[in-house]
Amino acid sequence: MKDLKHLYEFENLLQEANNELVKKAKDEGGIALGYTCYHIPEVLLNCGNCFSVRLRAPRTGSMDIATYYMSNFLCGYSKAILERAIEGGYNFLNAVLASETCSEMNRALEHFELLDLVPNDKFFVTFLDAPFKIEEHTVKHYVNQTRLKILDMMRDVYGVDTSDEALLKAVEEHNEVCRLMTEIGNYRKEDNPRITGYEYHILNLVTYCCPKSLILPKLRETAEELKTREPDAKKNYRAKIVVVGSEMDDPDFTALIEDSGALVVADRYCFGSMPGREEIIINDGEDVLTQICRHYLKTSQCPRFMSHRKVQERRDYIQNLVKEYNADGVMYEQIKFCEYWGYERALASYVMTNDYGIPTAAVDRQYTASASGQLRTRVQAFVESLEIKKIAKEREAKKNG
Amino acid sequence: MADLGKLYKDHTAVLKHREWRGFKDTMYDYYRWLITWKDMIKMVLKAPISTLKGLWKYRWMASYLSAPSFVDRHVAGLRGPQLRMAHLHYNMIVKHCTDLINISFVADEKINPNNKISKKIVLTDEIIPNEVFQGFPNLKVVPLQTIPIFLSSMVDQQITPPYLEVTESFGVPADVCPLPSAEAGVAIEDDYPKMGCCMIATNMPCDGSVMNSTFLDRRLQLPVHCFNVPLRYNGEDVQEYAVDEIKSLIAFIEEQTGEKFDWDAFFAAMKNFNQQTEYELQKWDVNKTPYPQMTGAAFWLYRIYYFNLSGGVDKRFLKVDKKVNKIMMKAYEKKTPVSKEMRHRTIVWSCPANYYTSFANWLENCWGMNVVMDMETMISYQKFNTEDKEEALKDLAKTYQRSIMRKHTKGGYRNVVDELWRIVEEYNADTVIMYDQISCKGMDGLTGIFDDQARERNINFIWVKQDLMDPRTISRRDMREQVNKYMQTVLQEEPLDASLVDFEDDMAW
Repeated sequence: MKDLKHLYEFENLLQEANNELVKKAKDEGGIALGYTCYHIPEVLLNCGNCFSVRLRAPRTGSMDIATYYMSNFLCGYSKAILERAIEGGYNFLNAVLASETCSEMNRALEHFELLDLVPNDKFFVTFLDAPFKIEEHTVKHYVNQTRLKILDMMRDVYGVDTSDEALLKAVEEHNEVCRLMTEIGNYRKEDNPRITGYEYHILNLVTYCCPKSLILPKLRETAEELKTREPDAKKNYRAKIVVVGSEMDDPDFTALIEDSGALVVADRYCFGSMPGREEIIINDGEDVLTQICRHYLKTSQCPRFMSHRKVQERRDYIQNLVKEYNADGVMYEQIKFCEYWGYERALASYVMTNDYGIPTAAVDRQYTASASGQLRTRVQAFVESLEIKKIAKEREAKKNG
Repeated sequence: MADLGKLYKDHTAVLKHREWRGFKDTMYDYYRWLITWKDMIKMVLKAPISTLKGLWKYRWMASYLSAPSFVDRHVAGLRGPQLRMAHLHYNMIVKHCTDLINISFVADEKINPNNKISKKIVLTDEIIPNEVFQGFPNLKVVPLQTIPIFLSSMVDQQITPPYLEVTESFGVPADVCPLPSAEAGVAIEDDYPKMGCCMIATNMPCDGSVMNSTFLDRRLQLPVHCFNVPLRYNGEDVQEYAVDEIKSLIAFIEEQTGEKFDWDAFFAAMKNFNQQTEYELQKWDVNKTPYPQMTGAAFWLYRIYYFNLSGGVDKRFLKVDKKVNKIMMKAYEKKTPVSKEMRHRTIVWSCPANYYTSFANWLENCWGMNVVMDMETMISYQKFNTEDKEEALKDLAKTYQRSIMRKHTKGGYRNVVDELWRIVEEYNADTVIMYDQISCKGMDGLTGIFDDQARERNINFIWVKQDLMDPRTISRRDMREQVNKYMQTVLQEEPLDASLVDFEDDMAW
C-alpha cells in the first residue's frame, strides 16, 4: 500500500512527550494537562485554553532511578513515567490529573509531588476517587469528583473557563476526532483492510498525545486520503486478531504482532480507541458534566469495574468486536506486574476460549517493545494455531457438503 | 528465657518439651494449652459428623489441628502479666474461630445438602469488617475466605502454596499479591464450603482483591453485591458516597433475605464496640509510656480479629478486654517490664506476613526489639454515635475507610509515610521494621521515599522482605536473617538469645 502522507510526521510526533505540536500549543498560551488513565475524562482537559496530553515515555531506556523509588515489582509504564519525570521530560506540564485507580500509577504520579518534579509554582497534581460500579449514587460521586478535582482546580489555578458552553465546545472538538477515528477504524472491518493495525495505532496515539486543534487538520486529510487508498492485492496477514489488555502506547508492539503474521483489527487496550474514540452524545435532559461522566463510566472497559454486569459486559464486548471485525482470535496482553490485567487476562482468556469458543492467547510483556523475542514467538505460534483452526474448519465445511 | 531456640526440633520447629517459665507461669501456660484443646474438642463434639467430613473434604481443615502449636509460638518467652494477657487473647480467638468453623461445616451444602441454615447465611468478603451486619441479628454472616485461607495460613505456613500453584497454573502471574491469589486458588479448587443466599464483595483492601472477586463470583454463582469504599478517604468530599454505599449494602441484604435492618441491635453492638475501642486506646496509651505492657504478636492479631470478626456483637470479646485491661493497668502501675530486656522500641510497618505472624515475638526474644505499635493495630479508632442513625452511618463509613490493610495503603502517601513518622515520634521509637511485602504494589511504590526519609531521621530502618502468604519465596528464616544482619553488622549488637539467631523452621506449621 502507498504510505499515508502524514504517517512519518505522526511517527516523529510520538518520539517525544513534549512534541512539536505540544510546544506550539504551549507557545500559543495553551495549558498542558497530563493524565494517564481513562478514568480522567479526556474531554474535560480540553476546555478553554487547556489541552490534554496522555502521558507516554517514548524511547525509554534505563529505569534505575524509578526502580530505586518504586522497586523492581511495579509495572514498566508507571516506572517509565516516573523516570521520565525525574529526567525533566514533563517539565512542560501545567498539571497532572490523576485518579487512584491503580495503585502503581497512583504511586508514580504521587512522586511528582513528593519529589517536586516540575519546576512551576502553579503546577499541581490532583487525585480523584473513581467508583468501581455504575449506579446513580456512584455517578453522582464521580461527577462531584471530576468537578472538584479537575474542573475547579483548572479554574482556580489557571483561570480556565469551565462553563457548560466551554464543555460543549470541547465535546464538539472531541467528537470530531472520534468521528474521524471511527471512520478510519471502520476500514479495519474490510476483508482486506486498507489500513494496518500499526498505522491505526500511530494515528490513535497522536490524537491522545497532541493538542486536538492542531492534529485535526492532518487527521481530516488522512481520512480523506484513506477513502481512495487501495490495499495490496495480496493480503499481508494470515490471521486477524483483536488485542485486548493493559496500557500499550508503543506502536512497535503492533508492528511486532503484524510482522509475525497477524493483523490487529481492534485495539481494546488502555490507550487504544476502544473505548476512547466514541462520540459523546449530549442532550438537554441532564447537565453537561453528568452526561460526560456517565459516558466515560459506561464506555469504560477497565477490569477495575467489579460488578457482575460490567464483568459480563466486558466479555460480550470482546465477542462483539470479534464478530464485527471478522477476527480469528483474541490476544490478551498484560504489562508485567499489572495486578488488574494479571487476573483479567487469565480468567477472561479462559472464559472466551471455553464459554464463547473464541481462540485466545494470553501474553505478558514489558513496557517497551524492545527485547520482545519471546512475544514474537508467542504471536507466531498463535497465528499458526489460528491458521490450523481455519483449515480444519474449512475441511469440516467441505466434508459436510 | 535464654536458649529458646534449643527447644525446637530441627526444620519442623516442633517443641522438644514445653518451655520452663518458673512453676506458676508454666502451670498457667499448660492450663491454657489444655483450654485450647478443650475448645477444639468441643467444636468437634458440636457436630462430629460434619466436622469429620469437613476434615476429609477440605485440605485447609487439617491445618487447624495445629492451633495449639500456633498459640505456643505466639507466647514463647512471655512471663507473668504478658503471658496471661496473650493467652486470654489467643484463647478468645480460638473460641470464636471454632464457632466459625462449626457454622461453615454445618451450613455447607456439600456436607449437609438441603440444610436450612445455609439460606440464612450472608457471605461476605473477609476484609469487610462485621460492624454493619450487627443490624441483622437474625442472619448469620460468614466471611468467606477467613476460615479456608486467611486464618489457616496464619496457623500453618504450608497451606497456601498449593492454592497459589493452582492460581498460577490457571494463568494468573506469580507476581500478584499472594493473598487474593490464594483466595482465587481456593475458588478454582472448589475448596470453599458451599453456602449462603448472597455474597458481598468489596474493593477493599487493594487491586488484587478487586480482581479475585471475579473468580469468587464465577465459583459461587450467588447474587453478588459490590460494596465499595472510597479510596481517597481523607476528604469530606467522599463521605456522602461512602454513606450511600452502606445504605446500598443494607438495601441489598434486605432485598435478598427479607430481613429489616434492626437499628436497636446495631446500636447495642456499637456500644460494645465503643467500649472495646476504649480498651484498645488504653493499650496504645500505655505503650506510649516507658512501660509498655502489650508488645509482640498478640497486640495486632487480637486487634484485627475482633475489629473484623466480632464487630461489637460478641460480648465475650468485651469480657476478655476487661480482664486484660485489669491485668495491664496493674502491671503498668507496678512498672512491670514487658520483657526481660527492652532494647529497642520498635514500630512494625506495612502488612505482616501471614506465614510468620509470630515474627514480633522472635524480635523481642532474640534481639530485645519490642513492637510498641504496628500498622495493622493502628486502624480505625472511630467511635460510633449510638443514637443518631445518620451520624452512626457516617461513623461506620469512616471506620470502613480505615480498616485493615487499607487505612494506610490507600488514599495517598501521607497516610502511610507521614503517618509512620508521626507514630515513631508519638511512641518514642528508635527502630522501624519495614516489611517489604514484595507483591504489594501500593507499598512497593514508596520504597525509595521511605529510604530517603528514614535517612533524614537517622532512625534504625530495617527492611524485611517477605511475600505475605508464600514462604517459598522468602522463608521465615530469610526474614530473620535480614534482621540478624542489620543487628550484627550495622548496630553490632549481641543477641539476647543466641540460640534464636539462626534455626531452620521451613517444615514447621
